[in-house]
Amino acid sequence: MKRKILAVLLATAVTASLAGCGSSATTGDTASTEAAATETAEAGTEAAAATGGDNSLTVWCWDPAFNMYAMEQAAEVYKQENPDFNLNVVETPWADIQTKLTTAATSGDLSTLPDIMLMQDNAFQKNVISYPDAFTDITGSGVDFTKFAEAKTAYSVVDGKNYGVPFDNGAVIACYRTDILEQAGYTIDDFTDITWSDYLEKGKDVLAKTGKPLLSCQAGESDVIMMMLQSAGASLFDAEGNPTLVDNAALKEVMATYQSLVEAGVLVEVNDWDQYVGTLNSETVAGTINGCWIMASIQTAADQSGKWAITDMPKLDNVDGATNYSNNGGSSWAVTSNCKNTDLAYDFLSKTFAGSTALYETILPSSGALATYLPAAESDVYSQPSEFFGGDTVFAKITEFAGKTPSNNTGVYYYEARDAVAVAITNIISGADIDTEIQTAQDTVNFAMGK
Amino acid sequence: MSKPKKMNLNQKQNLSGWFFLAPAAIMIALMSFLPMLKALILSFKTGIGTNMTWTGITNYVRMFQDAVFMQSLKNTFLYLIIQVPIMLILALILASMLNDKHLRCKGLFRTMIFLPCATSLVSYAIIFRSLFAVDGFVNTILIKLGLLNTGYNFLAHPNSARIIIIIALVWRWTGYNMVFYLSGLQNIEYSVYEAAKIDGASPFKIFTKITVPLLKPTILLTAIMSTNGTLQLFDESVNLTAGGPANSTITMSHYIYNMSFKYVPNFGYAAAMSYLILILVAVLAFVQMKVGDKRD
Amino acid sequence: MIKLKRVGQYAFLILASILSVFPLIYMLIAATNKSVDVIKGKMIPGNYLIENFKSLMAQQDVGGAMWNSFKYAIVLTVISLIICSLAGYGFEIYHDKGKDIVMNIILLAMMVPFAATMIPLFQMFSSAKLLNTTMGFILPTISTPFLIMMFRQSARSFPHDIMEAARIDGLNEISIFFKMFFPTMRSTYAAAMTITFMNAWNSYLWPKVIMSDAKSMTMPMLVANLKAGYVTDYGVLMLAVLLCSIPTIIVFFLLQKSFAEGITGAVK
Repeated sequence: MKRKILAVLLATAVTASLAGCGSSATTGDTASTEAAATETAEAGTEAAAATGGDNSLTVWCWDPAFNMYAMEQAAEVYKQENPDFNLNVVETPWADIQTKLTTAATSGDLSTLPDIMLMQDNAFQKNVISYPDAFTDITGSGVDFTKFAEAKTAYSVVDGKNYGVPFDNGAVIACYRTDILEQAGYTIDDFTDITWSDYLEKGKDVLAKTGKPLLSCQAGESDVIMMMLQSAGASLFDAEGNPTLVDNAALKEVMATYQSLVEAGVLVEVNDWDQYVGTLNSETVAGTINGCWIMASIQTAADQSGKWAITDMPKLDNVDGATNYSNNGGSSWAVTSNCKNTDLAYDFLSKTFAGSTALYETILPSSGALATYLPAAESDVYSQPSEFFGGDTVFAKITEFAGKTPSNNTGVYYYEARDAVAVAITNIISGADIDTEIQTAQDTVNFAMGK
Repeated sequence: MSKPKKMNLNQKQNLSGWFFLAPAAIMIALMSFLPMLKALILSFKTGIGTNMTWTGITNYVRMFQDAVFMQSLKNTFLYLIIQVPIMLILALILASMLNDKHLRCKGLFRTMIFLPCATSLVSYAIIFRSLFAVDGFVNTILIKLGLLNTGYNFLAHPNSARIIIIIALVWRWTGYNMVFYLSGLQNIEYSVYEAAKIDGASPFKIFTKITVPLLKPTILLTAIMSTNGTLQLFDESVNLTAGGPANSTITMSHYIYNMSFKYVPNFGYAAAMSYLILILVAVLAFVQMKVGDKRD
Repeated sequence: MIKLKRVGQYAFLILASILSVFPLIYMLIAATNKSVDVIKGKMIPGNYLIENFKSLMAQQDVGGAMWNSFKYAIVLTVISLIICSLAGYGFEIYHDKGKDIVMNIILLAMMVPFAATMIPLFQMFSSAKLLNTTMGFILPTISTPFLIMMFRQSARSFPHDIMEAARIDGLNEISIFFKMFFPTMRSTYAAAMTITFMNAWNSYLWPKVIMSDAKSMTMPMLVANLKAGYVTDYGVLMLAVLLCSIPTIIVFFLLQKSFAEGITGAVK
């Protein structure tokens, strides 16, 4: 049996190669490959890349339960007025969108790009500045950008021009296990509108009484640091895009706070995302602080329904402009320059994501896709209580947080700076000096910028 | 046979040789050398994204001032020096054990030992990270044995994280290399072993005096492939440790990838770093060929 | 004494096998559990397999991805085995200084990280109108220095006197390759086939870059899709990973006898 399979495969090989050897050596191999390829070439050359003319659009995004679902619902909304409209959503993980965009734009062949792609807010500036030819300026497209929070649209504005229609919200929430807090004698109110030093003291108490840390996060990632930093309206770059790590009082305070949280055991670092979600689901921590999209992961542990509550995050103690609000993550829709039918794309976006409260009412309950479209927040759906989170009106709360979030400059070299800060905090935790490490991080960023 | 006729035959055979290797060589020229040439040109340019200008050898100078790149170079060489010999020796031992006619369940053993490299990276990364987590399996065992008091976070410390990468590499690729040795061993007459056994040679002696010398061409193949694979190591650095803690496990390829796709793209610089890898591998492969590629 | 050695050999092999199989067992168990239980580290089989399967089928086109993966992997394996074995044979049997130099140059081709050549390659493929085609998928890896060298190294053990005998019998060079070399080198072909199939099956970055059609999705792409969202369903992910690993394992199992219990003696 086994021999037979081998024999068949080898026989095929022989036949194909003989066919190849018939002609001259050079054309020989192409002939045989072509012979084999024609049999199997089913992926047409036209494929699913941007569809010119007619009434259809191709979109890349990546989460079937979230942004893909939202896109498909948007198509339904749009079809009510335009029954011929056809939307082709291609599931493409974010990392792959980045790779494909880079490859296509660098080689100058943009024909593989879709009409619309979803872009992480943190990568928006970098991509528009690196590949200006790949994007379409949508400032004058008819989308009303004033209907979105300014801090959110800022991510996709380059040189005063709009390149993105804001989509999901990354407003930061602090989630706590009320049952665990109760064991330590606290309620959710004791953790609302507090400072990090309150948090640390109460955290130590909770740890002593219940054995559970208040917070977990991924080692080597700077999410928590960036959230703390933005909550005080501080950034790693100034408005001109120069790094401002050194002499940044907020950053120094953030580093020191993070270090003391880890030292006290109130913040526990785990090694990857899966373990982080694990700490939430398997009840090894008493809470977390993250973008509001983390609620979806928390809710997968259905047996913990009613035991969670959300509130705002702690604020920095000694920094001017410190608030209890921040942002982590979020994405926006970009129209590529490969889009042949821009009028259709503009019309679609402005009548759905930038114009339909009904769309957001549909997608919110089943996907938790919280809008950054301000008029949607007035909808009744947003004041629905959530049973999982103790009957609280979580969506209204988060929308309120989002409105109070200070904006920050991602700059073009955002990822370089984030990674440099992550290296710095790792070294600081193992005992290095804060000022020296911040200086090193700034040097790394400067080096990357070619300064 | 007369002399001129033999020359003629040699020439004819020589020509057939070129004919045999032409298709493959042409494909490699088109699919590898042409892009490599373009990358070489790129390595003398600098700029963001598509906006590139000539810069001479700046990129090649720059990489030696780049602390992260130098760190990645050190890490990669550490993996190479420790991991490749361990893995190849282990694969040789396993292959010669499994090349035993009297062994039962040979097929099952072989398949099981090959499994790691067929297992998807996704599950293998998740498993390795959870095995070595603070409350993971390895720590539990070490605590039970009384070697540790509390869990040790292996992935949070530079040296232990590097050791985990090395363990992971050995685990994943030993079975892969074993395949080549097993296949190479089939070209050795079994009777040679039988004769040696009858003469009373110890298994160790058989291994060093018969197996290893006869497998030399295959050992050279695997040594060059593993050297190349390790210097271009990417998967483990990205998926197991994400280069951390604080870049202490990042590899050159991982850094090059970041430079092209994560950070503000600087393809000229990425290409220059890639060419350094080429030079390093080429030198090592050249030495290995000199030592191992002799026709006796 | 001999018995003792046997025990040692078995013990070593059993230990190596257990260490190797562990992740597969983990995948199997995880595929039968709910996502939350997987993340909590549950290590006993659950009863969620059917649910995970249904949910995987509802989310992703598993059949289509399997078909594509098989199609690409088989086409690539067959063609590249032919091209590379011809070349390896040519390099070794007819070796001279010139060919040894060419071999060394060819080895250089694998030494540059793919991240550096990917963009120039994409440019070439886009001007040759090969984006979104099977040809585009397979061409870059159709001839690899690795396979060429593998066949070159194993051709070293191909006895020269046999060739002389064949030539005297009037066989031409191509017939010698197909009638003499090809059958003798079964173990090398089987090993090369296993490895090439596996590499083709697992290839991710290049196919992803040149294929923009959802219809050309392969198994590794499907797995990548499953962990791209804000929430990962680990049970479903592990089931997909398991399905993605099985074909390579089967190919290995079917072929291992051919390369590990070769037909020494047939050469004589």
